[in-house]
Amino acid sequence: MPVLDKTRRQHYDGAVKRLRTWQRPFFGLLVLLALIALGVWRMGGERPGVSLGPQQRVETTNPKTGIHTRLTDEVEVWKIKRTLEMVREMGAPWIVEYFPWAYVESEPGRYDWTHADHVIAHAHRQGLTVIARLGFVPQWARPKDTTPLYLDEENFDQFADFAVKFVERYRSQIKHVILWNEPNLALEWGYAPPDAAKYTALLKATYPRIKEIAPEMQVLAGALAPTLAPPGDEFAVNDLVFLQQMYDAGAGAYFDILAIHAYGWHFDPDSPADPEVVNFRRTELLRALMVENGDSQKTAMITEGGWNDHPRWTRAVRPAQRILYTLRAYDIAQAEWPWLEAVCLWALRFPWDQNSYQDYFTFVRTDFEPKPIYWEVQRQTRGELP
Amino acid sequence: MRRRWVLGLLLGGLLLAALWGGVVGEQSHLLLPFLRQDTTWQAIQQRGLWRVGLDPSFPPFELLDATGKVVGYDVALAEALAASWGGRVEIVAVGFDSLPDTLKAGKIDSIVSAYPFDERLTQDFLFSTPYFEAGLRIAVQAGSPIGRLADLSGRAVGVEWGSLGDMVARRLQREGMEMRLRSFETPEQVLAALLDQQAVDAVLVDNVSLRQVQASGLPLVAVGDVLESIPYVIVLPLQATDLQQQVEAALQQLKSSGTLAELEEHWFSGQPAVK
Repeated sequence: MPVLDKTRRQHYDGAVKRLRTWQRPFFGLLVLLALIALGVWRMGGERPGVSLGPQQRVETTNPKTGIHTRLTDEVEVWKIKRTLEMVREMGAPWIVEYFPWAYVESEPGRYDWTHADHVIAHAHRQGLTVIARLGFVPQWARPKDTTPLYLDEENFDQFADFAVKFVERYRSQIKHVILWNEPNLALEWGYAPPDAAKYTALLKATYPRIKEIAPEMQVLAGALAPTLAPPGDEFAVNDLVFLQQMYDAGAGAYFDILAIHAYGWHFDPDSPADPEVVNFRRTELLRALMVENGDSQKTAMITEGGWNDHPRWTRAVRPAQRILYTLRAYDIAQAEWPWLEAVCLWALRFPWDQNSYQDYFTFVRTDFEPKPIYWEVQRQTRGELP
Repeated sequence: MRRRWVLGLLLGGLLLAALWGGVVGEQSHLLLPFLRQDTTWQAIQQRGLWRVGLDPSFPPFELLDATGKVVGYDVALAEALAASWGGRVEIVAVGFDSLPDTLKAGKIDSIVSAYPFDERLTQDFLFSTPYFEAGLRIAVQAGSPIGRLADLSGRAVGVEWGSLGDMVARRLQREGMEMRLRSFETPEQVLAALLDQQAVDAVLVDNVSLRQVQASGLPLVAVGDVLESIPYVIVLPLQATDLQQQVEAALQQLKSSGTLAELEEHWFSGQPAVK
């Protein structure tokens, strides 16, 4: 305790005496609570001192290299920054990131852009091009007892309103948005039946509104889950079938770029495309459908994909195979697919361990320790590999 | 005086609410142990069967034999534990990632499936103490002068390319350890490089792979501390405190009697069953 002069000490002693004996523990408790609150405040939210830093740019030999980040639930700003720094340092100019509608507009017309602002600002400062995925419905825009992926057609305009707000806010920093995710899965519609016409209606409700305010914005659609679901399946529609159904419903006029999910499961990336197989080159089948439907002038982007090296998951490969397949996948995109703009594999890092096979899709551990695959991709983008 | 009454009522109310929440809420393991009931243990006793969930795709811990029967170290361990309280085991095959949800839904009583301890799940489940350490070890030929991590400096070290061992070795290099790193595509190739070709002085390998090689009689030993711990544990429902006590007591008995080591040796050496 610092030395007190006589007057101040008398004042202090008097104050202490004024506290009755039974009050003292409560006073102490109050101080303790205040300290805890201060600690919680310091741990969460923005920490003073997390600056954007100088403007960076990505050095890479393969400008199509990308990765899906997962910053949605990353609270601490320094972790957002570090994650995006690591993307740049890996040599990947592209990221896909998810911006949940429910997180931003939890009440109608009340927007909280704090987290999205951090992500966009830091990504931009690192020289990254952000492909923003929009989805996740707030409670007020869907019936009670539905999941946040459920959206009725009568609420499509509200989704479009949000997309417009998003684009208005970030159009100087973002040029790509993906509307919805894996619409050929019931799961992604809150267990409503997947319906290509319904998804096309969502595109029709949203695309013109975005183009009206930001004609330069590139709207991605599709992002279909690769699946061999048989006709009539309750939970999924085959992605090739679903894309054709989208075209049949008139979707072609309502997107600029096709988003593709390209998982390799246990096949190497040179396994030939086959409608009966889910592999990396299934991408070529989706591209063929674009061409057949008169969309050859459009491009595509892989916005999810890759391989998994979980020791016990049936669709996984060995860690060495995962590295070889991943490097080859980036090569294929650059050397063979001029219609493909970017390959954003799943996923750089999660905010916390999922404790499932999902952890074995990542390039960086939750504690920011880079896995060997991260270093090998970095060597590739630096031209250090033979 | 009136203030004291108000304060007393407030504190009393809070205490009652906490006790009530402790009895009926999710945190029922925290309070009033004399009011708590372990319905899982009661059901096991009534049935005479302990329903154990596992994913039979991870030899030697769990696998299907030629007749399609689920066998392995975990099965033998579960049977030995159940025998300690005079019960029998019913094996329920469940996909690895679905095991926690299956336990939570009450479809099984426990998970015995080479399941790594997960600190984040302690709010949902109880755990036994570890019965196997599957983490990352330094392995050398018997008689090697390498006895600890620091001895790897200046040595050739083998790892499986892309594995946890590879990640840790690269980190050690970044931190200043001067070792020559050699990568191989499979754990088998890593161990062969150490044993047959003597191309490396040591390897960083998971303890499951290492134990399989050791059990086949090859002269490899683990030295130094575990570099990344992956302890396998038995997972139990959150309210199953009686079952946890039974399992833990039996597990300690198996450890102290040497039976656990015997089971491990049998299953890692490829023996079909414990004699």
